[in-house]
Amino acid sequence: MKLHQSIMIVAASSAFFFSTIVFAQSAEERGLEIAKATDARDAGWGSMRAEMEMILENRAGKTSTRKIESRQLEVQGDGDKSMSLFKQPRDVAGTAMLTFTHGLDADDQWLYLPAIKRVKRISSKNRSGPFMGSEFAFEDLGSQEVEKYTYTFLREEACDTGMNCLVSERVPAYENSGYSRQITWIDKAEYRPIKIEFYDRKNSLLKTLSFIDYQEYEGYWRADQFRMENHINGKKTILNWKNYDFKADLKDSDFNKNALKRLL
Amino acid sequence: MFKPISNAISLLALLAVAPLIQAADYTLELGMEATHYPTQGSPLSENNGMSFSLTPSITHTFEDQNIYFTFTPFARWDQRDDMRTHADIRELKAIKVLDQWELEAGISKVFWGVAEANHLVDIINQTDYLEGLDGEDKLGQPMLRISRIFEQSTLSAFILPGFREREFLGLTSRFALPFPVEKATRFESDDEEKHLDYALRFSGYAGQMDYGLSWFIGTAREVSLRPSSPASNVFFPYYAQIEQVGLDVQYTQDAWLWKLEAVHQDSQESNHSAFVAGLEYSFYGLNDGAYDLGLIAEYNQDSRDNARAALLQNDVFVGARFGFNDAESSAVLAGMILDLDDDSRSFRVEGSRRVLGDAKLSIEAQAFSHVDPNNLTYGFRDNDFMQIELTWYF
Repeated sequence: MKLHQSIMIVAASSAFFFSTIVFAQSAEERGLEIAKATDARDAGWGSMRAEMEMILENRAGKTSTRKIESRQLEVQGDGDKSMSLFKQPRDVAGTAMLTFTHGLDADDQWLYLPAIKRVKRISSKNRSGPFMGSEFAFEDLGSQEVEKYTYTFLREEACDTGMNCLVSERVPAYENSGYSRQITWIDKAEYRPIKIEFYDRKNSLLKTLSFIDYQEYEGYWRADQFRMENHINGKKTILNWKNYDFKADLKDSDFNKNALKRLL
Repeated sequence: MFKPISNAISLLALLAVAPLIQAADYTLELGMEATHYPTQGSPLSENNGMSFSLTPSITHTFEDQNIYFTFTPFARWDQRDDMRTHADIRELKAIKVLDQWELEAGISKVFWGVAEANHLVDIINQTDYLEGLDGEDKLGQPMLRISRIFEQSTLSAFILPGFREREFLGLTSRFALPFPVEKATRFESDDEEKHLDYALRFSGYAGQMDYGLSWFIGTAREVSLRPSSPASNVFFPYYAQIEQVGLDVQYTQDAWLWKLEAVHQDSQESNHSAFVAGLEYSFYGLNDGAYDLGLIAEYNQDSRDNARAALLQNDVFVGARFGFNDAESSAVLAGMILDLDDDSRSFRVEGSRRVLGDAKLSIEAQAFSHVDPNNLTYGFRDNDFMQIELTWYF
């Protein structure tokens, strides 16, 4: 009797114990945990330079190319700073953009127009607009801060690449997003984004972004290619990243309106 | 064509960089422009004209020394007007960057301000009106600049040797002045075009606010045309000595841009103030897609109440910018300037898109309507025009 009772108590308490482990972490908490782990795994890179080639491809397979030089500075406790210099198409060569991202708040953004030597502060409300006529929206290329989304863990599954992926849904917490939600596939071993599906405001699948050919630079993983496919209009945009440089040692003073004017 | 001081600076800079020219980046812009005026103008002028422009550019960064070098000459050939056929050194400059400091020497271009239709505080460079009426093209200005860069602001001091005179279109041009202008320019200063001008500017941002405070002392960029003798029909250009303070502010909030530019100018003979205040609002993602529409409204006021003293003395500019955000970067800008005193108005439409890979096609049309005889633009009332420009970029 006594034994039976004590077994009951042990069983009940261990059931209670296990339930606290299994159920204490909701899908939301697990989603957030993965996002934080992804962010932490990539923290500490400091600054970097890279060249980006952007190939726009329409439904008929006709392509046009853009070339951009990118500099980025990691900012602790706020969004990153970035400076982009356009090299191609040639009619916009020398045009440059300075962005101070701020997580949920509006970014600060300046555009330099080289023909008239003018630096213009521009509205950053246009998060959902296309970047240089491509299938990437401004928000797809911006600094990915944890607080910009709310997360729900969905499942663990094998990715196309043979890795195990953690699949989560994330919903933009910032204003003026063009998306109702996104589904992200994160490689479980290295916490690298492998694929993102974007659902438009009407909740239909709009685009798929794939991260291809990861390389490790100074301990940080970067994909050599981003491939964005638009399922509605059939267009594609491919970003080829070249000459990643994590030793550029850029300083905060390299990211200001004066620097924008002399990038070249 | 060039002033001796510019020549000297060009030569020195060229000698200094000649051995490094192999490593530099080159670009070339080739422009072809055709203009049509539907209405008959003066007997000298024609209704159609062609013009070609050439803008090569060499840039090089000396990474180790943090020196940035730029050389951008410019040349235009005009079929109808020898005066519009002209050349200039837009830039021939070196910038040295030292942590919190920037030093610049050479011929350069500087832009100050925030407004779209009127550039009041922008004073460093002379406007190249041979290029167009919109005042966006500038002549290269010899300068020495030193800037101290703070976290969110910059303080710059300029020494400006070598004044650039305004150039006037010849009588075969439709936008020529309706009277002859003598070559014999006169200056208030005995140093004439060698007068040293100085300027200071403090600019920066705080949150959503971008601001600039500027001060200039020296030869006016604005020309005053004076009759050679009291009854003469021939005029000579005169440049006064002026002191100007300026303020420009832009507040960027969501899709709104609020803008203000104000200046006060003192000279021996007069003083005046002017401002332009305006806003810009953008609608993004129109039609559930990529289109943008920006609406612009600006009000201009100049204390020189006389309609002949200032073009934008009590005028409103309203405009709309439509961006297609397509792979060809197609865009259209349409605007109107309305003089609230005499109801004179002019309309302008500009459109552009990328063509043939690395070329750009621009179309521009301007129309004058209901021009009051006392308005400064009265002489241009029959000069409605359409222009097509094709620019190749290499």
